[in-house]
Amino acid sequence: MMAQPAGDSAAPGPGRPELFRSWIVNSRPWQSIVRHGWPDNPLDRSLVITSSLFLHLHPVKVSRRSLRWSYSLGLGIMAVILFAVLVFTGVLLMFYYIPSVERAYSTMKDIQFAVPLGQFSRNMHRWSAHAMVLVVVLHMARVFYTGAYKSPREFNWVTGVGLLLLTLGASFTGYLLPWDQLAFWAITVGTNIAGYAPVIGSATRGFLLGANDVGQASLIRFYTLHVALIPLALTLLISFHLWRVRKDGGLAISDPDVVAGGDDGT
Amino acid sequence: MARDETNIEEEIFPRDPAKSYALVGLMDRSTPQAGHGPEETLFSFPVVLLWELVLLLGVTFLIFLFSLIKQAPLEEIANPMVTTDPAKAPWYFVGLQELLEHMHPTLAGVIIPGVLIAFLVFLPYLSPGRRGVGHWFGSARGGRIFAATTVYTLLAMPGAILLDNAFSLREVLRGVVPQWVSQGLVPGLILVLLVILPLLVLLRLRAGGDELILALFTIMLVSATVFTLSGFFFRGPGFKLYLPWQMPGGYNPLDGL
Repeated sequence: MMAQPAGDSAAPGPGRPELFRSWIVNSRPWQSIVRHGWPDNPLDRSLVITSSLFLHLHPVKVSRRSLRWSYSLGLGIMAVILFAVLVFTGVLLMFYYIPSVERAYSTMKDIQFAVPLGQFSRNMHRWSAHAMVLVVVLHMARVFYTGAYKSPREFNWVTGVGLLLLTLGASFTGYLLPWDQLAFWAITVGTNIAGYAPVIGSATRGFLLGANDVGQASLIRFYTLHVALIPLALTLLISFHLWRVRKDGGLAISDPDVVAGGDDGT
Repeated sequence: MARDETNIEEEIFPRDPAKSYALVGLMDRSTPQAGHGPEETLFSFPVVLLWELVLLLGVTFLIFLFSLIKQAPLEEIANPMVTTDPAKAPWYFVGLQELLEHMHPTLAGVIIPGVLIAFLVFLPYLSPGRRGVGHWFGSARGGRIFAATTVYTLLAMPGAILLDNAFSLREVLRGVVPQWVSQGLVPGLILVLLVILPLLVLLRLRAGGDELILALFTIMLVSATVFTLSGFFFRGPGFKLYLPWQMPGGYNPLDGL
């Protein structure tokens, strides 16, 4: 491993910070955890990415063009960040929330008035949820208007449509959980729309609600979908989506033929 | 036997101590890095990670600030006996609810969303090629088509909502023709006409397949926005149209977020 300090060999000996850094980087704990040296050279900068579970979805090198804000607007990454915020705040709320018709509303009151930072966590969760729906739609619009859905990325676009639907599903199932008038009637109206399908309408609505009306069966279904099934499906599909971005050549603005076509991609 | 195998292997892959590389396989496509000179690329570390860190801090900071200012709503406990007025779906489905005001539920709640999702799923396979990839709106002409279709939809869809609100087709044709005609066929045809009209203009201007898809997607996105805004901000008690700041009974659309 290249664990030498940053200075060139011509530099007059390492200073105190460099010595300290090299002591850290050469220590056994550091070596056992990250398995690369200080990332001030091409090899270690590559290893930072490739030897990390969390970072290895990134390519070791990216084209300068794909970093343009004016191209991607960062919307895909924003969606992932919002999802992470939602998982974090959602788990916090799960410690207190009880998905029963008798208890749900009172646990909401507890969260708002008794739990330290409860109201704030709930605020973060709700506003992030709205923001995620908005950002995912904007991300879809960006991908469409920059032609990034075209060959070879057709299937990743389809995956994205699936992610949009899952995002809507995650938000919709969460909407019922506070068990207040707003939640109850929004879900009643929303599931009524599904009930308008000919032949399968009432069956679909019954499948969603677990009964003819919004009640305990619906609450537990929506809860299970909201905290387990949909987040799991989202995690898997987001992973696939991001992996596929790499496999399809990164952002479309860095495709060889786009680059060859000139520098008017802004 | 074992010696024969090593001989064959030697023959195919002659060992050369100076050779440290090998051709592993040929792929009939470009790799992500093909066509990139070294000067066009950067190490992901640390630039991309900083880029993502800025987004992470920015997004969470905005949500954090907003959460300090605005509280998540919590109304009275759910009561199946007392209907709220208006009773609205969550904002992202309120566009469908607005659509329900104008046509048969099967058309508004099932057929139109189904067609839109099918359009989204098959859209990349309708695209003829890679022209315009990596450029906003594909070309300058694409940008003009986007602008024109947006303006058209911003006029046509609110116009259709207001017109139907003033002279409800449902009421005008009640008892004259069967319900599936007055609430299904007629509004469906009007909607199809509104969507096809700009496409016909584009076809006259010799638009390509990509430009038609661009126009269709824009009509869909802007219409969805118009219907959502109309349902969310302009529908008050009884799901009737009001100006957002003139809602009766102290109803504030923003309370329903």
